[in-house]
Amino acid sequence: MSDKLRYGDFASAMTINQVSISYNELTPKIAVDADGNELPYVPPKLSLTPRDLFRVLEPYINVRVVEQLRSVVPLALYLALFQLLILRTGVTDAGLISGGVIAVILGLVLFMEGLKLGLMPFGESIGTVLPAKAALPVVMMVALLLGVGVTFAEPAIGALQAAGSMVTAEDAPYLWALLNPWSGTLVLSVGVGVGLAAVLGMLRFIYNWSLKPLIYLTLVPALGLLLYLLSDPELSKTIGMAWDCGAVTTGPVTVPLVLSLGIGVAAATGKGDTSLSGFGIVTLASLFPIIAVMLLVIYLASTVSPEQIIQQAAVAQAEIASAGQWYQQTPWVEAIGGFRAIVPLVLFLLFVIKVVLRESVHNAGIVTYGIVLCVVGMVIFNIGLSYGLSKLGGQSGGLVPAAFATVHGVDGSPLYGFLLGLMIAGAFAWFLGYGSTLAEPALNALGITVETLTNGAFKKSLLMNAVAFGVGCGIAAGTLRMVFDLPLAWFLIPTYLLAAVLTALSTEEFVNVAWDSAGVTTGPVTVPLVLAMGLGFGNSTAATDGFGILSMASIGPILTVLSVGLMIQLKLYRQRQAEVEEGHSNEKDRS
Amino acid sequence: MSKREITVLTDVALITCVVQRGFADEVIAAARDAGAQGATTYYARGSGVRERLGIFGVAIDVEKEVINVVVSQDQLDRVFERMYLAGKLDTPGMGFIHVTALEKAATYVPEEVKEKLHRSVRRRG
Repeated sequence: MSDKLRYGDFASAMTINQVSISYNELTPKIAVDADGNELPYVPPKLSLTPRDLFRVLEPYINVRVVEQLRSVVPLALYLALFQLLILRTGVTDAGLISGGVIAVILGLVLFMEGLKLGLMPFGESIGTVLPAKAALPVVMMVALLLGVGVTFAEPAIGALQAAGSMVTAEDAPYLWALLNPWSGTLVLSVGVGVGLAAVLGMLRFIYNWSLKPLIYLTLVPALGLLLYLLSDPELSKTIGMAWDCGAVTTGPVTVPLVLSLGIGVAAATGKGDTSLSGFGIVTLASLFPIIAVMLLVIYLASTVSPEQIIQQAAVAQAEIASAGQWYQQTPWVEAIGGFRAIVPLVLFLLFVIKVVLRESVHNAGIVTYGIVLCVVGMVIFNIGLSYGLSKLGGQSGGLVPAAFATVHGVDGSPLYGFLLGLMIAGAFAWFLGYGSTLAEPALNALGITVETLTNGAFKKSLLMNAVAFGVGCGIAAGTLRMVFDLPLAWFLIPTYLLAAVLTALSTEEFVNVAWDSAGVTTGPVTVPLVLAMGLGFGNSTAATDGFGILSMASIGPILTVLSVGLMIQLKLYRQRQAEVEEGHSNEKDRS
Repeated sequence: MSKREITVLTDVALITCVVQRGFADEVIAAARDAGAQGATTYYARGSGVRERLGIFGVAIDVEKEVINVVVSQDQLDRVFERMYLAGKLDTPGMGFIHVTALEKAATYVPEEVKEKLHRSVRRRG
């Protein structure tokens, strides 16, 4: 009595009810007009039930919010918990700061989505069409202007202005002038640096130049200007800020937009197939602005005297005290800043597409939506920046010295012995750098690229750890530097010289990866936090200026990645050597 | 050297599922839990419902992942259903799934599995 039953029949009987309908019933019949011509079919708009709407929007919003939560919340929690547990001090204005952090997350969500929908399509179409349609000088011009535009649109650049409010004119007049009345010019010069880097990076793609000589050629004027600034006690206070600018520039707007143009040029000239195309621009874009800003400092010094600036600052102080116009108060400052950051870039991109390329904009509706998101996101981000991240960073930075020194407002400080406290402060800075770098999504992407480029010789996890280790050490070194108030140049010159030596020894691949990794690691969350932390730290210790931590965080990973690269090369060389020897001995055996 | 032979598999079907970028892993996990032996994913761009949703169309990614899963006839309905549910394909814009009949397929089949099957076939015959 064993009836044979096919398992397939059993399985289909057990599954969900399947109802079959013929697809013929669903597809439209083609309509014909009076002359017998076929009319193109226009599908009707779909109306969504609320449940469907939720199911469509839920993953869309979820994925994007979680992405930003991951980069912001651990850092903010780390700072807050460190303050509570190690420094035993409550977070003042906790409510305001939490609100600010939420605003940062929300702003980043909107901004990144807007960037993807609104600005990236422009960048891509310019990247692919422009090099094919326009002559090289036109492309260079566009690249130069694009460099300026993207710098203004970079979210982290707002952190510089926010940092400006923490500097006093009496202590460092030129620094104050650059960050307050001259901040527009400062960003402009950074932008010109980025633009020139884009142009040079593009030429590099076309003529297949090696990155090494370009690095040397940029380092010589950079270090030369550094020495010049060092010779003047007033100007030397701006060194930290100038070198920090390099790390600030390379963010989520600059990198993809400039890269897409560069890769487009490389593809149009038929040189796009080298595995390294795409690298190098980030390196140049973080070195050139340093030079540009230092030149600006020298120009400023030749036109204005410190006394004039201090006078000007006093006037500005009085203006702020009288509350100024409505557009000089938050949140209007941030709102106007957001518009000023995005709108010129959009207009420039539109101009290039419409006038230079004579292309039409596809999906105008979605692009507009993206641009609106960008502006709204930027405004919310800027508000969050000044109320959340900068405040939190400044507060923690200001309190950390309580571990080893007497800080006004902290009961019982120094909390620990000098040496132990110093170690705690160093460890705090190190873990801040290490953790925030590992969380940076751009680093993960770089790791994957590098692993494929080197055929697995350079593992993704190894690269990520090397970079994060370098950033951690850099931030720790930058923080401790302020404790002893050593000149930043003492740190910058030897490390960059060492980097140059290591560069000479390394192969082209590792040089590209190592120098780019420095720019990749400093995203829109890390930069403001670290900047504000440094300034707060600088204010509570005797340091003359709180800048310079970011520049140390840039050179750190260059050194670690180059060293790890050299170690891998050595290992591969030894392996090959051993194989050759084995081959020799085998031959001897045979003979 | 022994003569090489190919073991050809019959009663196979191909399930192809198109979902938005980033959703494939979940669908593949569901397929594997239902007994699918493996999956291949490739990237593509798609259009359709996105254009008809108006402003909500932005919530749907044009970048797609296309999942290919080869299953046996007996598994077909079960895997098909699990993939459909895991991909939430009953929501507009989430994706599409279809089945293609395959004539035959071949891949690595472990030696002992072949032995066992041959024996049972011989016993039956």
